[in-house]
Amino acid sequence: MKGRYDEENLKWIAPLIILVIVLPFLLRGATFSYRYYLYVLNIAGIYTILTVGLDLLSGYTGLISLGHAGFLAIGAYTSAVLVDQAGVPFGLSLIVSPLITGLFGILVGFPALRISGMYLGLTTMGFGFIVRRLIIALRTWTEGSAGLEVSKPVLFGFTFANDWHNYFLIYLFVIVVVVFARRVMKSKIGRALMAIRDSEHAAQAVGINLVRYKLFAFFLSAVLAGLAGVLFAHTMRFISTDHFDILLSIYFLIMVLVGGVATIYGAVLGTLFIVLLDFLAIPLFKDWLASFMAVQVADIQSLIFGCIMFLFIIFQPMGLYGMWLKMRIYWKLFPFNPKIKQT
Amino acid sequence: MADLVIENLEVHFSGVVALDGVSLNVREGEVFSLVGPNGSGKTTLFNCISGFVTPLGGTIDYGDLDLLSKPPHSIIATGISRTFQNLQNIPYMTVLDNVLLGNHSRIGNRETVRRWISRRQRELEEERALEVLDFIGLANYEQKYLSGQPYCIQKLVEITRALVSQPKLILIDEPAAGMNDQETMEIAKIIGEIRDYLGITVLVVEHDMSLVMAVSDRVCVFDSGNVITIGEPAEVKAHPEVISAFLGESVVA
Repeated sequence: MKGRYDEENLKWIAPLIILVIVLPFLLRGATFSYRYYLYVLNIAGIYTILTVGLDLLSGYTGLISLGHAGFLAIGAYTSAVLVDQAGVPFGLSLIVSPLITGLFGILVGFPALRISGMYLGLTTMGFGFIVRRLIIALRTWTEGSAGLEVSKPVLFGFTFANDWHNYFLIYLFVIVVVVFARRVMKSKIGRALMAIRDSEHAAQAVGINLVRYKLFAFFLSAVLAGLAGVLFAHTMRFISTDHFDILLSIYFLIMVLVGGVATIYGAVLGTLFIVLLDFLAIPLFKDWLASFMAVQVADIQSLIFGCIMFLFIIFQPMGLYGMWLKMRIYWKLFPFNPKIKQT
Repeated sequence: MADLVIENLEVHFSGVVALDGVSLNVREGEVFSLVGPNGSGKTTLFNCISGFVTPLGGTIDYGDLDLLSKPPHSIIATGISRTFQNLQNIPYMTVLDNVLLGNHSRIGNRETVRRWISRRQRELEEERALEVLDFIGLANYEQKYLSGQPYCIQKLVEITRALVSQPKLILIDEPAAGMNDQETMEIAKIIGEIRDYLGITVLVVEHDMSLVMAVSDRVCVFDSGNVITIGEPAEVKAHPEVISAFLGESVVA
């Protein structure tokens, strides 16, 4: 009876948090260019916050979104304008900007009450385009497509001056968001969202208000994307519409897919995997690949991501997290492994 | 007191008359069976009661509540829960979670927030679900994922999910479809226990006459949207119109 639920969750979370804290120190001790690695980890952390939100929406609730780069952009630009032009303190913007993004999420959520699947994907993709055009159109605040310089984050009088500082700021939020998302998804809200994905009739029969929960899923997902946007703007210190194109939205979906759909840890793993691949591995061989293939060097990234997505869908539909679960079961039963087939 | 009273219910699906002025009355504490050929409107009646189909005319009253004015997700608050003919389960959730899903309407928002920090709250939520799982006889399955479980288990999980919210009336749609004889008798036993031990009124749609005859207090026979007869199982079985609808009339009069 006692503590069946979430047992493994608690057992794993403390070592993971310690790892997150000591990792930058390890990197500084072990590598020469640790600042670059920290920068890459920061981007991974920011994207993780977003993909966890995307997992809640597309993985758990089954509402495909191809417009999450749009939410990221709204969060980033809202905060940049609020802090640098309206003089709002960063700490306040950290709360207000995600909420404003959340309102946009509800707005995009309304079509989702009537359509689903590919059609919803196209609608949200359209939203992504609209956001980009809107940012260019609102030139007085956003400086159009030229891009916007953003101030450093200042919290309680402390200025986060470099990637070293930003790392702790970002990963504090990553930990909070991951733990929060796990908790939410294990509660009645998570069950309701999964019920909406798998059977709307059953969901209604047990008393789930479809309108409220679908809009809530969009709101929560957009809030997390907005939070990622705020952190993105103030730690990257420069934002332009080029940062938020449709390809990024698709990469976010690939991250969720590669990590394992509808598992929060999967979103984290998938994001780390894709971002590290993008920044650390692909640069090593992309010139070599482009030398004998008729593709631009810039297209190598999408080529590789596309291939990875295909391979995962075919060979490992449960993603990286599913691989980890299988490995764990294997070692638990070793050496008495029956020939199990995970379903 | 809390009888389900259906009067003159009429449902048309673009020209097809699904229910043609159906009136019936389910008394509290009985097992009431709906039988009839395919397409005679049994499931449509269920869908009307649970709000998925809006009828053209007629009334459905439960106690003094008008069910037709409620959206599907508020029906459970009146104490009516249902299962579906085709399984409507959440396959990638454990059996326990599927059952907890049925308790959705009974878990308040404040409890949900408290649950994020308190293990005790989580256990309270699960206790009730485990009790009902035990009652149905699925206690060993709680941590198993529903996908990959046998059909019979999935069907029982659906019934458990409908029971866990402590309803007063439960609508069970074809519990024995796709079951073998042994499992059918098991279901019959469970339906009897739901009435006897939990005091829940059961409205059940079923084709398997052995199950209907075994558990029903009253049987209602449908044919193409009309009620042919309502009565005790033995009466209904002997009713001439029922025999002609199901078995065909004998040539020699």
